[in-house]
Amino acid sequence: MTPGGRDKGAIAVSLALVALALFVFGQLPSIPADGGYSVLGPRFAPMLVGVGLLAVGLMLLRQALAGGWRAMPPPPDEPLHRPAFLWIAGGMALHMAIIGTVGFTLASTLLFVLVARGFGSRRPAHDAIVGAVLAASVFLFFTRILRLALPASPLGGL
Amino acid sequence: MGGLDGLAGGFAIAFTAANLAWAFVGCLLGTAVGVLPGVGPAVTIALLLPLTTQLEATSALIMFCGVYYGAMYGGSTTSILLNSPGESASIATTLEGNAMARRGRAGAALATAAIGSFVAGTVSTVLVTLVAPPVAEWGLSFGPPEKFALMVLAFMTISAVLGHSALRGFASLFVGLFIGLIGTDVMSGQIRFALGLQELYDGIDVVVVAVGLFAVGETLHVASHERRVVETVERIRGSLWMSGRDFRRSVGPWLRGTAIGFPFGTMPAGGAEIPTFLSYATEKRLCKGPDRFGEGAIEGVAGPEAANNASVTAALIPLLTLGLPTSATAAIILTGFQQYGIQPGPLLFATQADLVWALIASLYLGNVMLLVLNRPMAGVWAKLLTIPRPMLYAGIVVFATIGAYGMRNSWFDLFLLLLFGLLGYAMKRSDIPVAPCLVGMILGPRADTELRRALQISQSDFSVFLTRPISAALLAFAVLLVAAPVLVRRHNARRGRA
Repeated sequence: MTPGGRDKGAIAVSLALVALALFVFGQLPSIPADGGYSVLGPRFAPMLVGVGLLAVGLMLLRQALAGGWRAMPPPPDEPLHRPAFLWIAGGMALHMAIIGTVGFTLASTLLFVLVARGFGSRRPAHDAIVGAVLAASVFLFFTRILRLALPASPLGGL
Repeated sequence: MGGLDGLAGGFAIAFTAANLAWAFVGCLLGTAVGVLPGVGPAVTIALLLPLTTQLEATSALIMFCGVYYGAMYGGSTTSILLNSPGESASIATTLEGNAMARRGRAGAALATAAIGSFVAGTVSTVLVTLVAPPVAEWGLSFGPPEKFALMVLAFMTISAVLGHSALRGFASLFVGLFIGLIGTDVMSGQIRFALGLQELYDGIDVVVVAVGLFAVGETLHVASHERRVVETVERIRGSLWMSGRDFRRSVGPWLRGTAIGFPFGTMPAGGAEIPTFLSYATEKRLCKGPDRFGEGAIEGVAGPEAANNASVTAALIPLLTLGLPTSATAAIILTGFQQYGIQPGPLLFATQADLVWALIASLYLGNVMLLVLNRPMAGVWAKLLTIPRPMLYAGIVVFATIGAYGMRNSWFDLFLLLLFGLLGYAMKRSDIPVAPCLVGMILGPRADTELRRALQISQSDFSVFLTRPISAALLAFAVLLVAAPVLVRRHNARRGRA
């Protein structure tokens, strides 16, 4: 990544911290200040945290604008490999969306295949078999031995 | 109850068949996980938390400690056989350990790491046995102001001491404190920052945050930035044992490493990174042996490994006696206690004496188990390193989702997992440490409670924190920790200009 690109990241993270601080301040009025028996109410700690976030965010923003954060380790030699990132993050989003309907084993197998794809695997069938065996054994271990609930497939069973 | 009486009772409990079995399972699991790159002890214990709800508290905690210890032993295998270290505390070992393995001395390196860990772990456990009861007794005199001051000190050290920048440490801490605020406030019953979402009324679960930040964040990072890294696994060639000369050269580093690691473990400085490097530097300076540093000197493996284990063991003192976690892993173990409604702290030694001593006794046993397990299973552990990366990380992500989803079967937890995974990735990219976030999230609500209790007692007089000597000293120390480096830097800059 170019030095310029890295600074953009630092500015974005600093701004995110400031935004979080503003969100905290925005929520404060909805928290009662009155603490009942205790002197300080439930609003006090959020206020401190909001001030802390704002201070840290602004100091980091100043550093980022003045040429980058200080004492940063050298950036990694490899730029972001966007497809890999999207395979994994997208795989998790899909898994979240379908686990309730298609059941644990199927959703987990699909997730396994997509993450492996993100790591450069070109053998989806092989990955699917490994993933299915892993997911099915975990499902049986959880539901039979630990007696914890996991969603079954629409057809019942695994 | 004195330390030795307590310990005898602890051994009686730890020696039951079931608890021995759980300690063994923990050691085995911990070593396996420690060997795997990409999953550290913090994630493993976080993933085990929801699974152990049906287990008795003592057994579950004995198992967690086995995982905690085992991960350290397993980590050394990875640093010696693999050219990239699994975690920051094993970088020092990698320097000499991997050089030794390349020269066909992997067996000796693994042996000195294992025996050094055993020596350091056992010596430190003896120290824990002796030191913990008096510290707990001292802790009994702590009121809310002291407890609050202690947590402030922990926040300061974990944010400011570790990592490259105190400012980024504090960024992580405050995000963690914010996460901790979400949900119902214990003191007033008011709901904060839940945005009307019922799923957030009970707060965000530590498991989701820890697994998201560590496991998912790490997976995203490795997949998208370390694709060209080629990991070469050294084979274990030659003798599995150390020669008499290796042994003589290791004894000094083991003992010095223990002496360096132990005090660091008791301080909330975020784990074993600093002492392992200190030990490495010490051995490098003292080394007169035939192998030079950088080419596989056994002293450079023996010292840091001992320092690592000593500091990991010593971390149990503040955790058990004051309820203060000094690293991310210790913070997760703290959550493990809370899951059973047990609050580590000075009262623990009085109210849950059996549990504490059984735990400490199991540390002695765990060290023996790990030493014995290490030799015959070295080949199996080395095999684990050859799992192809796509399979390894796909498995890690699947287990992460199980950990998040299994708790209450809600897709919302999977959403949070992804969210914290993205946050972990962004933090890793920005060199923002994760440990302060986790400790802030876990200790934050307690600090909030103690602060309000302290002011309730003092009738909203803030000077209560400064008029009570222990609280004042702790706070002064906390301020000094943050201010001193800044002042020194200014001073040097001024001198540089002059």
